[in-house]
Amino acid sequence: MRWCLSILLFCFLAVAHALSSSGNRLLVVLEDADDKGLYSTFWGDLEARGYDLDFQSPKSSDLSLFKYGEKAYDHLLILPPRSKGLGPALSPKNIVDFVNKDGNVLLGLSGKSTTPSAISSLLIELDFHMSSDRSSVIVDHFNYDTISAPEKHDVLIVPRPGQLRSDTKDFFGGEGVLAFPTASPHTLGDDNNLVAPIVRAPATAYSYNPKEDAGSVEEVAATGSQLAIVSAMQGRNSARFTLLGSVESLQDQWFSATVKTPGSGKKTPTANREFAQQLTAWTFKETGVLKVGKVEHSLATDVELKEPNPTMYRIKNEIVYSIELSEYDQDHFVPFEVPTNDALQLEFTMLSPFHRLNLEPSGRTANSTIYSTRFTVPDQHGIFSFRVNYKRPFFSNIEEKEEVTVRHFAHDEYPRSWKITGGWVWIAGLWSVIGGFLAFVVVWLYSAPKATVESKKTQ
Amino acid sequence: MKLGNSLLQLALWGVAALPTVTAAAWGFTDATVSVHTKGAGVGTGSKDVIPDNKALSKPVALGSADTLKVALTAQEGSSPKQANQVFLLLQDPETGLDISYPFSVKNNGKSRLELAMKDLPLQFLAPSKPLEARFLIGSFGTSAAYNGVAFPLTVARDPNEPVPTVEVSRYGKLPEIHHIFKADAQSPPVVITLVFVAMALACLPVLGGVWLFLGVNFKQLPTALQSAPLSHAIFLGSLLAIEGVFFLYYTHWNLFQMLPAVAAAGTVAFVSGSRALGEVQGRRLAGLR
Repeated sequence: MRWCLSILLFCFLAVAHALSSSGNRLLVVLEDADDKGLYSTFWGDLEARGYDLDFQSPKSSDLSLFKYGEKAYDHLLILPPRSKGLGPALSPKNIVDFVNKDGNVLLGLSGKSTTPSAISSLLIELDFHMSSDRSSVIVDHFNYDTISAPEKHDVLIVPRPGQLRSDTKDFFGGEGVLAFPTASPHTLGDDNNLVAPIVRAPATAYSYNPKEDAGSVEEVAATGSQLAIVSAMQGRNSARFTLLGSVESLQDQWFSATVKTPGSGKKTPTANREFAQQLTAWTFKETGVLKVGKVEHSLATDVELKEPNPTMYRIKNEIVYSIELSEYDQDHFVPFEVPTNDALQLEFTMLSPFHRLNLEPSGRTANSTIYSTRFTVPDQHGIFSFRVNYKRPFFSNIEEKEEVTVRHFAHDEYPRSWKITGGWVWIAGLWSVIGGFLAFVVVWLYSAPKATVESKKTQ
Repeated sequence: MKLGNSLLQLALWGVAALPTVTAAAWGFTDATVSVHTKGAGVGTGSKDVIPDNKALSKPVALGSADTLKVALTAQEGSSPKQANQVFLLLQDPETGLDISYPFSVKNNGKSRLELAMKDLPLQFLAPSKPLEARFLIGSFGTSAAYNGVAFPLTVARDPNEPVPTVEVSRYGKLPEIHHIFKADAQSPPVVITLVFVAMALACLPVLGGVWLFLGVNFKQLPTALQSAPLSHAIFLGSLLAIEGVFFLYYTHWNLFQMLPAVAAAGTVAFVSGSRALGEVQGRRLAGLR
């Protein structure tokens, strides 16, 4: 019986095998079934990577993101609708609920049509801001494709993005240029550490509403690199939401296009296909997913780990802490390497951190790196916790917390009084009193009175 | 990335500046830049003419009460024309940050822009190097757009006024914290300790000396040992034993080892002591002390 079950389980696993670390059920929301053919290479690439694509129209009545209160799909890909909204099944609230239940979303926009206000209000919840007319496109008279848009200048040619900051991992880099036809611009909220731009517009770009036939642009909300074309939001639950300003860039036509920018003599092929692969891989959690393995702490003197993870330490103990981390890369876990200029940090906290130390790699296994550090427990007793709170753009969040008690010295752990030189005076005084007492007893017992006293008594 | 972008654009522009096959190129003429100080009379402030399609080499200073006025006429080839994009692009060469300000453009290509310090973002208020002001003139169609340095812009702030800063929260590594331990207890120098130890121990010989001076003697010891040898020996022995137990307790015994031992030695001391003291009383009654 068990034998049968295991075979059944094996078959099930083989069927369910996908590259993503969080499932393979992908819902593609596509209003016009005719458009499906425009993206055939993209769908083929996704299917080749193990995704189970389910195409649905937003108007379809049996479309629901949830089934019995659980999410019915692991990932959601929304192509911009032609109509005014995405319907009741894909209301902003439902999409936010889907993200809250660890679902990943890739939302494509297009500058060709006005973005529905439902989508724009969803984006505001995630701190992406669209222009108030919702129908602008990014135009750049310096970085456009002269082959396909010699007149309108709305096919933006930008280099592949590099690192976001000097201390982040580059998930989207590579050689080549990207073409973004009729890209819809958005800006990012100022003070939000959950959102990060992936591709920004060049400094000379601006946002332009083709419906307003003004002679020249005189009012702009944002210009240049403040305009983002592709951005990402990663929630505290590590669910990912990617906003792609130009869904046309995923079309077959742009996967294999050659483009030419004004001024440059030569034609270059676009790298849109590689970028789409990187973008979907990141959004659907094939890359940048971190996993915590074994977490161990012990006394530094306990080298053989006879007592790992004790619940109590004494102040001023030497402690060794180590944590094992893996990173999911396409289809398997590899040892996680902290990006250059970044640091994995351990905090030893009681309300606020008493120690915040960089963890250094101390060993590695086939699919994980062990990071460790050694430190002295602060001279403060109480309930402390070891915290590894590693939250970085594009990496899934790690928040590891373990409580330990830190106690005082016990009465027999202090140094003895004779080891304290300042205490010698008191010890000497004590023993001289004892000696004096014994001498006094002897004297009192056996000393005869002086003769003068004797004579007085005899009188 | 931004720096790379701007370098790329520079390179592109450099290539575009070469006489290429493009029929017409955007440019500007009659460009002036002037700075007016609020409250100062007409005719004060500076006014400079920017040569056509070239940069002004002299930096323009913008103070906190000043207004920067830039005027130009956009032209395609050599005919004035309205362009879709007539922007003044400010770039910080250090950080690569950029912001553009659109001109108000008339049909004949005449464009004007007024800029005060309050229009600048906080990040541009205290640049380490002069900001680079560029003209961006371009429009739809095949004519090559113009992107060239116009003038360097220095931001002249009152040095006594603090530069406003902006705090944004970004995920990243935080500064390390190492706990600062309280200082360990200190003992005075050993020499001083030894002097005081010597003083404490010197009390015993001093006491002995004073007693001898007062005539202390052991003349009654033989009498006492004769009349009650056992009780005297045991009494003194038990007193010594009690002190010995205390010494052991001080060095390595615990309370539960010490208490029975002291109780036993104390009982012995009590019983033998009452006998020994009875003997002493006998001596007193005999008038010997």
